[in-house]
Amino acid sequence: MAELHHHTLPLCPEAAASLQLGDMVTLDGPIVVTAGIPTHQRILDCIRDGHNPPIGLDNAAFFHLGSYSKAGDDGFDVLYMNPTTSTRFNAMMPEIIRHFRLRCVGGKGGLDADCAKALGEVGGVYLSFLGGGAPLISGAIRRIRQVAWDDLIAHYRLVAMEVERLGPLTVAIDARGNSLYDSLAERAAARRAEILAKLASAREKAAGS
Amino acid sequence: MTISDADISRLARDLYSWSLRKVPDDTKAALERARDLETSDTARRTLNMMLASARAAEEQDRFVCSDSGVPVYFVRIGTRARWDSNIKSAIREGFETLVETIDPPILKHVTNPLTLERGYAGKDMPIVTFDLVEDADYIDITCSPKALGSGRWAAMELFTFPTLETIESYILDVAIKAGSQHCPPVVMGVGIGGTFDYCAKMAKEATLRPIGSTSDEPILAAMEERLRDAVNATGFGPMGTGGDTTVLAVHVNYAAGHGFTPVAVCFNCWINRRTRARIYSDGTVERVE
Repeated sequence: MAELHHHTLPLCPEAAASLQLGDMVTLDGPIVVTAGIPTHQRILDCIRDGHNPPIGLDNAAFFHLGSYSKAGDDGFDVLYMNPTTSTRFNAMMPEIIRHFRLRCVGGKGGLDADCAKALGEVGGVYLSFLGGGAPLISGAIRRIRQVAWDDLIAHYRLVAMEVERLGPLTVAIDARGNSLYDSLAERAAARRAEILAKLASAREKAAGS
Repeated sequence: MTISDADISRLARDLYSWSLRKVPDDTKAALERARDLETSDTARRTLNMMLASARAAEEQDRFVCSDSGVPVYFVRIGTRARWDSNIKSAIREGFETLVETIDPPILKHVTNPLTLERGYAGKDMPIVTFDLVEDADYIDITCSPKALGSGRWAAMELFTFPTLETIESYILDVAIKAGSQHCPPVVMGVGIGGTFDYCAKMAKEATLRPIGSTSDEPILAAMEERLRDAVNATGFGPMGTGGDTTVLAVHVNYAAGHGFTPVAVCFNCWINRRTRARIYSDGTVERVE
């Protein structure tokens, strides 16, 4: 049976390694979020130019979450946030994962095999958020620490915040690089012939009735 | 009395706002049924979280999803309706008013495909399609904002005199390609036949049908049922992390065509955004869903 865990960030290597595919986890602590391809490009530019990004990412929990940040009198506020599809960052994530040795990555829809391999190398996990979970996910925000690259539109900005009881999030790529997405896709491909045969027999039955 | 610009504009704004805050009742009921039947713990918990999120959005008047999508409206004008309105401009004004006034504000998702710049307005936005309803004395408007997560997996192929086997095999392959990505369990809409443009429209309209409704065409009613079971047998499950429920329903529309037969497939994610209302010639608004 899939287990429920609670962890405090930054996740230690042992805690990351203990998470099994299909387990669910809630998190407390600092996270960094963005939903922007241009943001990922800027992070890659920082790596290649030898600069630190404006928000530290070493061993961080870095999530593909779109957020509405708004400048107020006391700095930025985040009105809501929710996951975005991670796969569109596939090409950019392996370098980011390896460089910062990201301990947690997350969003929705998963990442590809190259990203899973990178996570396996650094002992990081991918956590699946509930898409359409804005009320629950936004409720975990406790404090906005920093909003960087605020020249970008709101959901592309790089936002650092503190969360409490964020989740439950589903462990979908484990710290050894095993991916639920890859295994489910392989299983669906393997089942395809059998599913088509069932469709054929259902068609025959319908035609005969 | 006639239907005015202000009536249409207000309704376009309200339909959009409602769609962001409420998962349709038939969809919540379908999620509950799926939850009760799921054999996987993770899938059952995920479906419960979906229901909790839908409930919280309604209770707290919050958005279910941060991706408020791009504005898409389907307008069906009753041939007996009386209006004095530039309906298309009025809908655009309604969306502009929504952007200026909605609380909380929506993010910039309208994207110029040539420059990738994002904003709240753009060429041909909102996307509005029109149709007529014979003998009706109302204008029927459906709003179904489209987000990236499920929008990007739609597909179409053109076949020549295809068998049902070819058609169904293609539909299954589109579902397998979408896999874990489109915030399942989804509603799948399929169009078969017509022409290239008409087929895509049929597929999209099929996603708007209430869950539990079946096609009037017996061949399609049986096809919808077996395709639902087929896609669920793939095992991608809620949020694509494994389970028995990948689709809540498969809806298929068809039209006669030439021997070249387009087959279009599209998806609406689990929050299944769609709101619909009728505005009568006397200005009365009846919210259908």
